[in-house]
Amino acid sequence: MAGLKAMLCMCEGVTLEDVDRAIEEGFADVESIKRRLRIGMGTCQGRYCVPILIAYLSRKLGVPPEKLAPPLVRPPLEMAPAYIFTGGEHEG
Amino acid sequence: MRAEVVVVGGGITGVSAAYFLAREGARSIIVYEKNYIGSGSTFKCAGGIRASFTSQEHIVLMKRSIELWGELARELGVKYLRSGYLWLASRERDLERLKSYSAIHNSFGVPTRVVGPDFLSKVAPYVDSSRLAGALFDPLAGKACPFDATQKLYSASRRMGVDYRFEEVTGLLAEGGSVRGVRTRTGDVHAEHVVVAAGVWSKPLLEKAGVDLPLAPEPHHAVITEEFGRLFDPLIIDVETGAYAVQTFEGHVLMGVEVPEEPLWEPTPRLDFLEKVVRVWSRWLPWLPRANLIRYWVGHYEVTPDHHPVLGPVSGVEGLYVATGFSGHGFMMGPVVGEELASWVLKGHSKTQEARNLTVDRFREGRLIKELAVIG
Repeated sequence: MAGLKAMLCMCEGVTLEDVDRAIEEGFADVESIKRRLRIGMGTCQGRYCVPILIAYLSRKLGVPPEKLAPPLVRPPLEMAPAYIFTGGEHEG
Repeated sequence: MRAEVVVVGGGITGVSAAYFLAREGARSIIVYEKNYIGSGSTFKCAGGIRASFTSQEHIVLMKRSIELWGELARELGVKYLRSGYLWLASRERDLERLKSYSAIHNSFGVPTRVVGPDFLSKVAPYVDSSRLAGALFDPLAGKACPFDATQKLYSASRRMGVDYRFEEVTGLLAEGGSVRGVRTRTGDVHAEHVVVAAGVWSKPLLEKAGVDLPLAPEPHHAVITEEFGRLFDPLIIDVETGAYAVQTFEGHVLMGVEVPEEPLWEPTPRLDFLEKVVRVWSRWLPWLPRANLIRYWVGHYEVTPDHHPVLGPVSGVEGLYVATGFSGHGFMMGPVVGEELASWVLKGHSKTQEARNLTVDRFREGRLIKELAVIG
């Protein structure tokens, strides 16, 4: 079993052990752990990892999952090339 | 419940005040944060750090803050780099303005200098220099990661015994010209000293105690791209528009530019910001149109009439201190403001005359301070 790790966030390579350590450092809410470990800040924008984080924190801290609000969703919903915001066409 | 010091606000100013107070020997410190650490304006900022201002107050305080940023990097492992600021001018008249700023910087020992395209290609290989009239480089400036710095100061101050409570302070307790503590929904907490470091939200809180702060919540917008390898080391500024761009420690490009805004407590995203920021930066970063934007957010500058912070004791209410009004420079000033507040609270005076010049009394006495270099 040595060397096996439970990955929680694939985009940023965050493991359950990283989350345990962040909790020991005093971070016990989703927004803080997101910024401490970058969970949900990669290309999936939290679609896969944030629900897993909430489920894990809920069990670990004994808090019902509905009390652990998911992080605020920032626009754009999907990443988008910059040129579409200038209103013009872009060759490329 | 009783504390020696209560700090209201868990942004960079509050956690830094708690850190320096604990380091200087304050016995019991409680920090109140109504949401999560950094959640107000700190985590929405770009993380730039510079002393290249045009007032003695900003320059002297920021030179000390830069020394402290270096210490925090060594002692706590805070992600901080002295990677410079680069002010880009495409017009001769903007370059002339930069030269006049540089003369002020140099007279205060901030070694900014005019550079050309050769220098640009070394420190900013992916910035297009074909439109460049000239640039001003500040080698003393740099950047830190707002998340990393604020959270490490939080963890370090917690290890030194600072008590963090995640609830809102709803009022200040004052009696006979002295502060007595703070009020929360779960009860009153008594304290000898109360430091209000609640960013733009300091204004409504202090109003309840009869203290009027000339502070406006000015919305400022920022957007970030996907990650890239090394593009440019310094934080770059387009002098014509005041737009800035910085490559974060992870490689994202974080950009901002001013769009006309009225003071607003609940700002919302605006498409015209995205249009302007992409248009401005595409002139210097020709690859930007095809880069993906991943996140866009709005935060506040808490702006004072002279664009300088309000620091230190509030006359008329003994034991009450304030630190806000940074007008867009609160993150970079965090360490020096923490150090100054610790001195005020524990020794009864600021460390420097420059900090003393920034008390709230200056508005009543008409001693406003002049600053020319406000960006983004």
